[in-house]
Amino acid sequence: MAEKKTVLVRIKRQLAPDQKPYWEEFELTWRPFMNVIILLRDIAERPVTREGKVTTPVAFDANCLEEVCGACAMRINGKARQACSALVDQLEQPIRLEPLTKFPVVRDLFVDRSRMFENLKRMKAWVPIDGTYHLGEGPRIAPEVQQRAYPLSRCITCGNCLEVCPQVNERSDFVGAAIINQVRLFNLHPTGAMHKRERLDAVMGPGGVHDCANAQNCVKACPKGIPLVESISEVNRDAIRQAIFGWLFG
Amino acid sequence: MTASGTSTSHREYFWRKLHSFTGIFPIGAFLAEHFWSNSYALVSVEKYNEVSRGLQTIPWRVPLEALLIWLPILFHGGYGVYLWWKGKSNVLDYPWMANWMYTLQRWTGLVAFVFIGWHVYTERFLTQGKSTYADVERALSDPLYFWLYIVGIVATSFHLGNGIWNFLCKWGIATSARAQRGAAWFGALVGVTFTAVGLAIVLGVRFDWKPFEFYTLPRQ
Ligand code: HEM
Ligand code: SF4
Ligand code: FES
Repeated sequence: MAEKKTVLVRIKRQLAPDQKPYWEEFELTWRPFMNVIILLRDIAERPVTREGKVTTPVAFDANCLEEVCGACAMRINGKARQACSALVDQLEQPIRLEPLTKFPVVRDLFVDRSRMFENLKRMKAWVPIDGTYHLGEGPRIAPEVQQRAYPLSRCITCGNCLEVCPQVNERSDFVGAAIINQVRLFNLHPTGAMHKRERLDAVMGPGGVHDCANAQNCVKACPKGIPLVESISEVNRDAIRQAIFGWLFG
Repeated sequence: MTASGTSTSHREYFWRKLHSFTGIFPIGAFLAEHFWSNSYALVSVEKYNEVSRGLQTIPWRVPLEALLIWLPILFHGGYGVYLWWKGKSNVLDYPWMANWMYTLQRWTGLVAFVFIGWHVYTERFLTQGKSTYADVERALSDPLYFWLYIVGIVATSFHLGNGIWNFLCKWGIATSARAQRGAAWFGALVGVTFTAVGLAIVLGVRFDWKPFEFYTLPRQ
């Protein structure tokens, strides 16, 4: 029989937020249909490096394993993507795994993406319906609007679009494509549209839509194929209208 | 500029939009005028000097220059350097077309800033605003100046062409992928045209090439 097939992987590790990162290399037995999550679980089962040193399991975040929860985003061979849909057979070896660079590392490949949630709140990217009495059903949505809104609603808050954006960095507080796309989604919704003005007001604030400089990486990196560039441009159009007309006549 | 009376600061939004707008108007418009007037170098020396003299003797020249040219360029350039510093290109990790354009937009802006500063100093201030064809010819006979002009023209033309594409996307004028592709072609056309015209002028002066001189000849 032929020699047993193996998979070579190098992982950037970091034990705690304030500690220095370092690299470890692992050699694993190849399995059919292996993806990066399976690979990381195999390491957890037997956390021994290539040199035979016993180490700790590699921490990572994952949940759905089918590209709908967003948790498993990381840099795989230098590119931001979901680990659960990254098939080992399609990756060049040694496979390089690193945490996302635009979010604080919790441990190893596990990052804290809560900034995205904070920014969704900051940009009012939700529909406020809580109150002291039942509001009843909202207005019906025309099928044409549904069709436009549905793709926008598929965002899984993975953060890939922020990771690849040159405008998202430590010198800027740009909220990034995902959040602006949600602003567009909720402005499209007939109930959400009742707060369109406030939402646009927020999105013209610090870190808002004007910080986009059209590098258009977000749309290439999004695992859900969301038309992010179009969303940003549409929000820009609504914002400038509100700015000019609000200023002249408002 | 508070659109709906809330406390959100829109100051940065305002400066960002002003920066974007000044790139087209008046700076882009002035660049078009500048290339147009200098194209008279391709007609004849006399015509060039006549047009230059005309521009040099308009009433309210200095306030107009200051308001329509110097101030906008100083603002766009100064704020542009700040924006250049604020962005962090990752084009080597993600070598996609629009990402290259993003990176080049920043670097050509910087090149344009240095070039324009030097160009205005030598051709506007050293000549006391009375520069002639002979001054330009003398400058371009120096190979260093000649190449500086080539670099300056290519960088600035690219910056304007790609900037127009950016502008159309960033003001929500071209929103869909299709419209943005159209806008990109339009921007490319502007960039290529400005490069071609600019280079023609420089080469025309450097090598005494006057393709439109026959305009000035008497009728046969
Ligand atoms: C001949 C002079 C110039 C012209 C015609 C020009 C034109 C433009 C135009 C049309 C834009 C697009 C606006 C937008 O992105 O929304 C732009 C953007 C830009 N310009 Fe200029 N510009 C000139 C000089 C400069 C200079 C001297 C700098 C200084 C570094 C500069 C830096 C930038 C930057 C960084 C952007 C991108 C802004 C962003 O994407 O956020 N430009 N320029
Ligand atoms: S827009 Fe796309 S890339 Fe960005 S967070 Fe949502 S799913 Fe991820
Ligand atoms: S585990 Fe949910 S997206 Fe990968």
